[in-house]
Amino acid sequence: MTDLLQAASMVFTFEVLGIVVAASLFGLFMGAIPGLTATMATALLVPITFFMEPLPAIAAIVSATAMAIVAGDIPGALLRMPGTPASAVYADEAFLMGKQGKLGLALGLNVTCSMLGGVIGVMILALFAPRIADFALQFTSDEYFWLALLGLSCAILVSGGDPLKGGVSMLLGLGISMVGMDSVSGQVRFTFGSYDLLAGISLLPVLIGLFAITELLRSMSSAEKRQPVVTPEANGMFSGVASTAWRYKGGVARGGILGTMIGALPGAGADIASWISYAVSRKLSRTPEKFGSGHPEGLVSASSANNAALSGAYIPALVFGIPGDTVTAIIIGVLMTKGITPGPDVFAEQGTLVNAIFMVFILANLLLLPLGLLAIKGARRLLAIPTGILYPLILMFCIVGAFSTNNSMFDIWVMLAIGLLGYFLMENDFPLGPLILAVILGPIIESNFMRSILKSNGDLMAFVDRPIAMVLAVCALLTWTLIIANGVFSGRRRRMSVPS
Amino acid sequence: MRTNDAVSGAMVAALGAAFVVASADLPSLPRQEYGAGTFPTVIGTLLLVFGGLMILRGVRHREAWVKWTASAPLTRFLGALAAVVGTVVAYVMLTPIIGFPLLSLAVLTALFYAFHRRHLPLSLGIAAIATLAIWGLFGQLLHVPLELGILEQVIYS
Repeated sequence: MTDLLQAASMVFTFEVLGIVVAASLFGLFMGAIPGLTATMATALLVPITFFMEPLPAIAAIVSATAMAIVAGDIPGALLRMPGTPASAVYADEAFLMGKQGKLGLALGLNVTCSMLGGVIGVMILALFAPRIADFALQFTSDEYFWLALLGLSCAILVSGGDPLKGGVSMLLGLGISMVGMDSVSGQVRFTFGSYDLLAGISLLPVLIGLFAITELLRSMSSAEKRQPVVTPEANGMFSGVASTAWRYKGGVARGGILGTMIGALPGAGADIASWISYAVSRKLSRTPEKFGSGHPEGLVSASSANNAALSGAYIPALVFGIPGDTVTAIIIGVLMTKGITPGPDVFAEQGTLVNAIFMVFILANLLLLPLGLLAIKGARRLLAIPTGILYPLILMFCIVGAFSTNNSMFDIWVMLAIGLLGYFLMENDFPLGPLILAVILGPIIESNFMRSILKSNGDLMAFVDRPIAMVLAVCALLTWTLIIANGVFSGRRRRMSVPS
Repeated sequence: MRTNDAVSGAMVAALGAAFVVASADLPSLPRQEYGAGTFPTVIGTLLLVFGGLMILRGVRHREAWVKWTASAPLTRFLGALAAVVGTVVAYVMLTPIIGFPLLSLAVLTALFYAFHRRHLPLSLGIAAIATLAIWGLFGQLLHVPLELGILEQVIYS
């Protein structure tokens, strides 16, 4: 109880509450503009969080991402243009509900179910994370090596598309993480004599390059004076929302639980959670034929799942220091710069901070309701902001943000180079998720491997000596088998689809 | 811009080969077979293998080596690319000389004018407000050392 009171005293301060509201408004803005994603919002927010204490920094990122996902539903319902990929699966459904005169109901359900899903996700996180952390205290470098490797392999498996390209993307990320001084031997690698590269390539310019510059290159070429706004009024907000959400309460709960579980898988984020939840909802529905015609059942479940996935992604991130998605990868980077290495020790040594983080999660999710309503009311104005003004502003923000990491011009070059690489990769269907996860996990995999190999005096069998390590190794092996099988089958499918 | 898998695969394989060659001289840890070169060698080898597989696939599919598949026309993309690269180059090269405020004002005015296609005075006005906002947030609030450049002599003389 004392721990909880201490945590509450950390959260309910003017600074943290102010940051939660400000970051939510920022996330709302980013999510509501089609083309600007929750990950991009996080990447742009990180330079500012560098100057904050750990709790406000996490509060800012959690609030911004949760709000961005909700705000992403708005252009989907109004314009049939999903604001973020996580809203794409039910954008049609919400838009068609709007055409039937149920726009208020669609948007109200989006916001309410997102809030409910988010709260379910936080409850599961708060309930299970400390228990898994207790268990993880037995882990040594052997288990961490397999766990990080498993995380990286899962990222390829669930990133969708071509596993071969997913693998290349992961290897490129690992390659980037190898630059600089090796943490075990102190050997300098791939710096080409550059002093700037001695400490390695900083995470922040890579993030900004990959998620902001890449997206700018794709979007700026179609920048218009104004978005084509033809928006009906969102009248009758919340009328019928409670009764509809209650009617599909099973779908909301299922979406929340499923979303949390999917979010906890490394590499599977809110977008995959909402797709799977929508598909499961359709499969289990008594009226599957109504899906795709402006029916709220799938929307309810998927809205709940995508916000729950955000909380789920924090389970591996906080417990093992293994990021569940790109946003948690960023949070791990932010925490590390503040001297906190996420892992089971954090739960034992900084229990108050962990409880405070859970409280911030609940607060951010509860705020979705009033701020979501505000976003819907102001949607027409938000969508009318000319992208020709917005994109140059974001570009300048990216440059100053990348510079602020180390106050070095070199980081701006890194941002540009990674942005160009990211553009090429995206245009050629290489997923970016495995790349960024590999940049974070690369040093973890290598340092744990080297520690284990030194401990065992070069004996590779020592990696599977301990039972937990053995189980993780088998899981990693199974994942690779699935990746290879997936690659072979997708290759066959592609060959069959190409006309001879 | 979409390239045939054989082209991307060749680039990947070349990068892998470079990794393997560059890792060859990295020393092992004392009395160990493993060292700083172990992981880069594994990464390089896998890049070589994956690149090779992509080359095989690309050759088998016989698609165009390079083609433009983005929804926006190539000329508009080149404009956007020039804007992004030009802004970064101008920032890195000119900020130490003319300072952040003047550079940001000039670059943002040009970009707003180019992409928003409105009157120059309006672009200048929005650029001035945006520059002030970024300067206030990063320079003043977060204490990022954004250089004043020639304005330093004006302000402090």
